[in-house]
Amino acid sequence: MHDAVDELLLSKVRLGIVSALLASEWLSFSALAEAAQTTGGNLGAHLAKLVDAGYVEEEKLFVSRRPQSRYRLTARGRKAFLHHVAQLQSFVKGAS
Amino acid sequence: MEPSEAREHLEMAERIVAASTRHLSMRYAAPSFIVWGVASGTVDLIYGLIARGFVPPATQWIGAALLAGAVIFSAVYGRRTRNLECGLTFLQREFLNVLWIAMSVAFVVMVGGWNIFPLFAMGAIWAVAASIVLFYIGLHENRRALSGGIILVGSIVIGNFMPSIVGYVLAAGFYLGYAGFGIAELLARA
Repeated sequence: MHDAVDELLLSKVRLGIVSALLASEWLSFSALAEAAQTTGGNLGAHLAKLVDAGYVEEEKLFVSRRPQSRYRLTARGRKAFLHHVAQLQSFVKGAS
Repeated sequence: MEPSEAREHLEMAERIVAASTRHLSMRYAAPSFIVWGVASGTVDLIYGLIARGFVPPATQWIGAALLAGAVIFSAVYGRRTRNLECGLTFLQREFLNVLWIAMSVAFVVMVGGWNIFPLFAMGAIWAVAASIVLFYIGLHENRRALSGGIILVGSIVIGNFMPSIVGYVLAAGFYLGYAGFGIAELLARA
C-alpha cells in the first residue's frame, strides 16, 4: 500500500488541503485552515511541503495594506490527488 | 495504512470537496450591491416623483448620472478586487460570469430600449435581473441574499397593485433588497 500511494498525501491534513483546493480557483490561508480543520502553525508547515513538491501554488498579496497569502492547486497537484484517491479506492475495494 | 484509515481519508476528502461547493464567497462584492441598490432605487424613486408631477422631467438626468457613476464604480472596483477574491469554485465563477453578462445585457436593454418599454417596465426588468443574482447567492446557504431576492420580487408584485406609487415601491425594493443585502453582508463580516 505504501509503495502505491503518494507519501505526501498520506497525511490527513495535506489530503484535506488538496481536497479543499480541488474545486476552488484560490483559497486564502484562513479558509484553508477552516476547511482542513487545523491550526495556523500546523497548516503553514503542511502547506510548505505541498508548495515545495509543486502541488500547490502560493501567491502573496497586499489587501488593505496587509500581507495575505492565497493558494491554488497546480496541474501536478490535481493529478497526484486523483491518482492518490484512485489508489485508496482500489485498496479499500481490495481489502473488502 | 489500514483499510479503515484509507476509507476515513476518502470520506474526509469527499466531505471537504462537497463543502467547498456549498459556500459562495461575497467578501468583496458587498459594496457593489450597495452602490447598485442605491443607484437603481434612486432612479425608480426619481421616475416615481416625475410620474406624480413632484419634480420636472429633466430630473431624470440625475438618475442617468447615478447609473453612469455605478458603471464607473463597478469597472474601477472590479479591476481592483479581481485578483483578491478567494474561495470561488470554478463552477461558481463560470455561473457568476453568466449572471454578470445577463445583468449587463438587461442594463443595456433597459437604458437603450427606453422607447420600447413603458416607464416602470424598465425598473421591473432590472428588479427581476437583480433578484436572480440574489437568489443564486441565496442558493449557497445565504439567507440574507434569499431575503433580498424575495423583497425585490415582492416589490414588483406589490407595485403591480399600486400603480400610482409603483416607482416608490420598486425603489424600496432596491434599497431594502439589494443595497440592504450589501449592508447586511458588510455588517456580518465586520
